[in-house]
Amino acid sequence: MKLTPRISFYEASARQRVAGILDPGSFREILPPTEQRISPHLGMFGAPVAFDDGVVAGEGTLDGKEVYIFAQEGKFRGGSLGEVHAAKITGLLRRAAIRKPAAVIGLFDSGGVRLEEANAGEIGSTEIMRAILEVQRAGVPVIGLLGGSCGCFGGSGITSSCCDALIASEEARLSVSGPEVIETVMGVEAFDSHDRALVWRTTGGKNRFLFGKVVTLVDDHIPAFRAAASALIKPSEPLTVASLRAERARLAKRIDEYGSCTDARQIWQKMGLDADRVPDMTAAELTAAKPA
Amino acid sequence: MELPILLDQLFPEGHRVAVDDWLVSGEATLGGQPVAVLGSTNHVFIGIRESLALSGKLLDIVEKRPGIPIIMLVDNNGQRMALDEELLVLPEYIAHLLRAQQLARNNGHKLIAVVYGNSIAGGFIAFGMLADRIVSVPGAETSVMKLEAIARVTKMPLEKLQDLAKQVSVFAPGCENFFRMGGLHEMWTDDFSNRLQKILAEDDAQDTRAALGNERGGRKAAQAVIDEVRG
Repeated sequence: MKLTPRISFYEASARQRVAGILDPGSFREILPPTEQRISPHLGMFGAPVAFDDGVVAGEGTLDGKEVYIFAQEGKFRGGSLGEVHAAKITGLLRRAAIRKPAAVIGLFDSGGVRLEEANAGEIGSTEIMRAILEVQRAGVPVIGLLGGSCGCFGGSGITSSCCDALIASEEARLSVSGPEVIETVMGVEAFDSHDRALVWRTTGGKNRFLFGKVVTLVDDHIPAFRAAASALIKPSEPLTVASLRAERARLAKRIDEYGSCTDARQIWQKMGLDADRVPDMTAAELTAAKPA
Repeated sequence: MELPILLDQLFPEGHRVAVDDWLVSGEATLGGQPVAVLGSTNHVFIGIRESLALSGKLLDIVEKRPGIPIIMLVDNNGQRMALDEELLVLPEYIAHLLRAQQLARNNGHKLIAVVYGNSIAGGFIAFGMLADRIVSVPGAETSVMKLEAIARVTKMPLEKLQDLAKQVSVFAPGCENFFRMGGLHEMWTDDFSNRLQKILAEDDAQDTRAALGNERGGRKAAQAVIDEVRG
C-alpha cells in the first residue's frame, strides 16, 4: 500500500497554507512584510509586533481561476483581529467587489478580536462582515477554510459564518464564545474548557459538517482543502426573501429537533449515527454516513 | 434610557410599537413618512432564538413594507454564552441575521441603529454594528470586554490598563471610545427626532466608519491600509 504523505493544514503557517492552496508560484502578496504595516497599538502594551500584523493577503490562481486570498496567522497573537489585520482583509474584499475575481478564499485561524485593540478589532470585524456581504452582492463568492491551530472564534467565528461556503477539517473549531470564555463567565459546570473531547465534539469540524454549515469535510491535508475549494467556486447566490425564509426555516427546524440536546453525542444519535464511532471516522466515512 | 421615553422622543408624530417579552417591533411616523421599528430591550442576550425572531421581523418588513427605513433599537448584554447554543452553531444564526439586514439594505431599506441600552460584543455585532449608521443616546453603554477581563487575559496589571484607557480609545469600554474609533457615527444628547430625520437623509449606505475613526484620531491606520489594499 502506498502512503500519501500528509501535509497538515493545522501545523502549517499562513504562508505555507496560501502556497499550498494556490497554483504554484501564482501568489502575489499585497502589503507584504517588507512594507511593515505593523499594529500602531501593541507597542504601548510592550507586546511584540509582526510586519504583516498576523495576516497574509493577495492574489493568485487556483486551477487557473483568478482568486483573492487571505490567511490569518494563528502563531502571531492567536490570529487575532487588530486594526491593521482587519483593515487588510476589508481592503482585499473591497478590491474584489471592484475587480470581481472568481472567488475570495479566506483561511481563518483566529481566537477573535485582539483584546489590546478590542474596539478597533470589533469594529474592524464588522467592516469585514459588511465587505463580505457587499462582495457577495457583486456575485463574487467567499469561501472559508477552517482547520488552523487557533480555531475560529468570536468576531472571526461570525465573520467566517458569513461566507458562501465553509470547508473544514475535523481539527477545526467554530463558535462565537470560545470554551474558555464560557467557562470564565458562566462557570466550569457550564463548559469545561479543559475537556478536549467535549470542546471538539461541540465546536469541531465534524459537528459543524453534520449540521450543514460546513459544506465539505476534509482530512487535515492541504491538497484536500485545495481540491475542495476549487470545486466550490461558483457565483454567489443572490439574497432574496425566499432564500432567507428557507434558511430561517432550516435553522428553526434545527432548534425544534435538537434544541433540547446538551451534548453532541445526543445529536449524532438522533441523526441515526453511531455516536461512539463518529470521532474515529475519516472525512470520507462521515461524508458517506451523513444523513441527507 | 427607558424605551417608552426613547420612543416618544424619537417619534413625537406617533408610534405603534409593541413589546413582546424582549422583542420590540412596530411602526412609527417620522416627517410624515412611515418607518419600521425593530429592536430589543431588557438587556437580552442574543442567541439562536433571538436571532431568528429578529430575522423573521426583518423579512416581514422587506416583504410587506418595501423600502421603508428601519430604525434598530439596540439593547443587549452580548451573545448568549451557553454550550447548547454553540452546539447548534450560534455563529450561523447570527450570520443569518446579518444576511437579513443585508437583504434589507440591498432592497433599498435604510438601516439606522440607535443604541439606548447595553451593546456588548457579539450581541452588538448581531444587531447594531452592521447598520448603515449607528448612533447612541444617553444611557447607552458599548463594550467589547471589561477591563478586568482584558487584564486577566493579557496579563497586564489592571492599574496600567486604567491609566492607558485615559490616553487612548482603542480598547476600553464606553461610547466616547467607540465614537473616536468610528464605531458610532453620532452621539445624541437631545433633539432625537430631528437628528434621526437628518441622518436618514444623509445615509448613503456606505461603510464610512474607518474614515471617521481616522478623522477623530482613534483609528488612524485602518482607512489607509484599506485604501492601499483595495488599490
